[in-house]
Amino acid sequence: MNRPNRRQAVLVYLLLAVVLIVFLTPIYIIASSSVKPTPIMFQKPPAMVFTPTFEHYTQLFATRPFAKFMLNSLIAALGSTVFSLTFGSLAAYAISRIRHKRMNDVAFWILSMRMFPPIAVVVPYYIIFKASGLLDTPLALIIIYSTANIPLTVWLMKGFFDEVPRALEEAAAIDGYGLLQIFWYVTLPLAAPGLAVSAVFCFIFSWNEFIFALMLTGSNAQTVTVAVMSFWSSDAVQWGRIMAGSFIILIPGVIFVLTCQRWLVRGLTMGSVK
Amino acid sequence: MSSIELKKVVKRYGAVDVVHGIDLEIAEGEFVVLLGPSGCGKTTTLRMIAGLEDVSDGELSIGNQVVNAVAPKDRGVAMVFQNYALYPHMTVRQNMEFALRPLRLARSETDRRINETAVLLGLDELLARRPSQLSGGQRQRVAMARALVRTPDVFLFDEPLSNLDAKLRTQVRLEIGKLHKRLGTTIVYVTHDQVEAMTLADKIVIMQDGHIEQTGSPQEVYTRPRNRFVATFIGSPAMNIVPATISDGKLVGDHVSVEIPERFKKRVQAGQKVEFGIRPTEISLLDGAEQATATARVEVTEYLGDEALLDLRIGSQELIAEVPANQCPAEDAEVRLRFNPEALHIFDAETGMSLENQAR
Amino acid sequence: MAYIRKRNRKIFLIFMMPAVLVLFGTTIYPMLYAGYLSFRSYDLAKLFVPRVYVGWANYREILSSSEFLHTLIVTFKLMAMTLSVQLVLGVGIALLVTQRLPGMGVARTLLLIPMMISPVIVGLVWLFLYFPELGYLNYFLSFLGLGPYAWITSTDWALWAIAIADIWQWTPFVMMGTAAALTNLSPEPFEAAKLDGNSPFDVFWRVTLPQIRPVLISLMFLRAIDAFKIYDIIFVLTKGGPGDTTEVLSMFIYRQSFTFWRMGVGAAASFVSLVIIVVLITLFFKSLNRDPHQA
Repeated sequence: MNRPNRRQAVLVYLLLAVVLIVFLTPIYIIASSSVKPTPIMFQKPPAMVFTPTFEHYTQLFATRPFAKFMLNSLIAALGSTVFSLTFGSLAAYAISRIRHKRMNDVAFWILSMRMFPPIAVVVPYYIIFKASGLLDTPLALIIIYSTANIPLTVWLMKGFFDEVPRALEEAAAIDGYGLLQIFWYVTLPLAAPGLAVSAVFCFIFSWNEFIFALMLTGSNAQTVTVAVMSFWSSDAVQWGRIMAGSFIILIPGVIFVLTCQRWLVRGLTMGSVK
Repeated sequence: MSSIELKKVVKRYGAVDVVHGIDLEIAEGEFVVLLGPSGCGKTTTLRMIAGLEDVSDGELSIGNQVVNAVAPKDRGVAMVFQNYALYPHMTVRQNMEFALRPLRLARSETDRRINETAVLLGLDELLARRPSQLSGGQRQRVAMARALVRTPDVFLFDEPLSNLDAKLRTQVRLEIGKLHKRLGTTIVYVTHDQVEAMTLADKIVIMQDGHIEQTGSPQEVYTRPRNRFVATFIGSPAMNIVPATISDGKLVGDHVSVEIPERFKKRVQAGQKVEFGIRPTEISLLDGAEQATATARVEVTEYLGDEALLDLRIGSQELIAEVPANQCPAEDAEVRLRFNPEALHIFDAETGMSLENQAR
Repeated sequence: MAYIRKRNRKIFLIFMMPAVLVLFGTTIYPMLYAGYLSFRSYDLAKLFVPRVYVGWANYREILSSSEFLHTLIVTFKLMAMTLSVQLVLGVGIALLVTQRLPGMGVARTLLLIPMMISPVIVGLVWLFLYFPELGYLNYFLSFLGLGPYAWITSTDWALWAIAIADIWQWTPFVMMGTAAALTNLSPEPFEAAKLDGNSPFDVFWRVTLPQIRPVLISLMFLRAIDAFKIYDIIFVLTKGGPGDTTEVLSMFIYRQSFTFWRMGVGAAASFVSLVIIVVLITLFFKSLNRDPHQA
């Protein structure tokens, strides 16, 4: 693949400009609509110059306990992240180091757990959580999100652990360290980038999640995604507040993309493309 | 300091033996080099001594204590790994500290040892650096320092110089030699490089396919190889091997016939199939009227400076000779050769064993 | 490592246990429970107490109902629509952003943003664009001489409305995976093909594509698995409507369980969906066709 010549370059940039406009317009719409006064929300042609208003944001927090919903989302997402990272990286270390022919099966079994349709298990969850009094609590969401986050962490961290040279661990073993110390002082610090990536993925997945939050929470543990959706009702759609809420929700994901996009491939394909 | 003893030590992976019941004694303070081609079992043997691999069968003792079931940390060994195995997230000082921490020394003792070792290996300026900020030679020295700082009874080296360039390799080799003289610690050193083995070792252990082929001083394995494998493995260029039959008190090969040296006469029988070996340096060119051993055609000459290597053809046989450069003949010339009878080796054609009286 | 492995076998097992137990408790157990429910019928008054064992009745009902078969057809139709467009667009954009020109890294990064957005937000912003009378999409299309279309209210366009939102969100995924694969290719075969005088089209078709095919297959399976589970966007945009035009399997399960409170039927449908997803997952693993220690 050598460098395109000038004519080809112009063509590439033109096509890419179209692609970028198509893919970024919806994001621009969220951002701009969240600060557009309601009367010009659907004005055509779209108002490009207007005095931004923050009334939608103030309304968002005034008409609903949106701060509390944000806190709920934060608790569920952080809780699940800590939980998944702890259990996931321990399991990943074991899977990376145990040489046994059944290990592949275990690894694939764990991965497949992430791929099952949530809707297929939501009924049993509903019944189980209702029976155990966990319905509408952050803990229920933490548990459920971990179901998806543990497999992700296991697969990501296994890749990172595989890359830590065995000789480092052997050197520590000769020096007199036990497995736990080796893991803590040698292996884990060297896989730290993996921890960071896994943490961000777990967090964003949980923060963005909708179905379980919708069906398993009520007024107490409701999360931001459910809250934003509740501004939509057939009689009066409050687009300003929906867009303001949406903008708040998409911030963590956008920050992630802009700061560590080089890890995205590995995370989203669970290591099948490096 | 500790002695090490291996009695019929076997390493087995599943049904495959990679080390076949080897016996080896290493005296206190001895510098022993395990030498052999890759896959010969030398690294596996070293890792068994370290405790990183279990001994499948037989007995391994360090300092007169059987250590088959003893954890690596309780064997009093320290190891320098092939790729150094430095902790990349720690500075040089922290690398050494980390090696010392399990010993639970007083703070002052820890510092004293680190500083002493750093000075000894010329690392005192680099203590605050991380491995990624060091050159290959410096990393190698840090790896040694980290092993040394624990004042082990036994020092294990796994191909420590294989990642260095040729010049640095010579320099570090000398340093390791000096270090051993100074500390007198028992050293087991694995390499596939015979120059390292010859220059460093008190005792060389030559291995092939999980067997020990010969154990001896550098001089012994060079001058009195126990079999054809050792003879051709040690020395560069390799010893020439010529198939021959015993006939009329002579070794008769293809277009070549050599008087059997006196010391072999009683050990061979007429008609016996043998192979004789002659090192390239023990072949000389004749210009006078002396009795020649063989006549050869010079196919290629390689000029090396002081010496020249000659690719010679005698009948169907190819030989290499090393001669002073000023005697180098023209290519395609016919030359008359003499094989130094004192330096002749004779091996049984079938077993490959030397027919020489073996000390061992 | 042998030493470390051997002495610590138990510790390694202990390391694995929590994750395995959690996963077992949170997925296998609910699945078994769903299996159990699928053989029961419910009394509306005692909603959460499984009542009567009804044998295969629930399965017989859904498998013989045209409604359930319709949802399966819709699900796979939607999958085919989104996957084909995502594949073509994704590979095309990947070829653009892997050109050796300044600014490509930035473009690549910006294109990744849609993937990290909550599907609910994706649904809402597209709802905003599709909105009858007011939405901007028809306005934009009018400049191209197209439309107006009744995106979410007509049976002709509703499924496309959902597909477009999904395509918008996940084409970057195919682009990203393909671009990664393209940059990992060794340049020699391309240079050789060029020296042999092949046209760029030939080079792409005969040199590039065969080399990235394994990656494309993996990406397509990952997309297929996700497409099969699609729910959020439909919930926001059409809720399965108009009529049952966009009623995919997930919507069917949701409606049976939480609208009609027929949890036995919902569970039976869930189980059918699990069987299908297991097939897809197995095919995906087969497509990787390599040791997971390297995957």
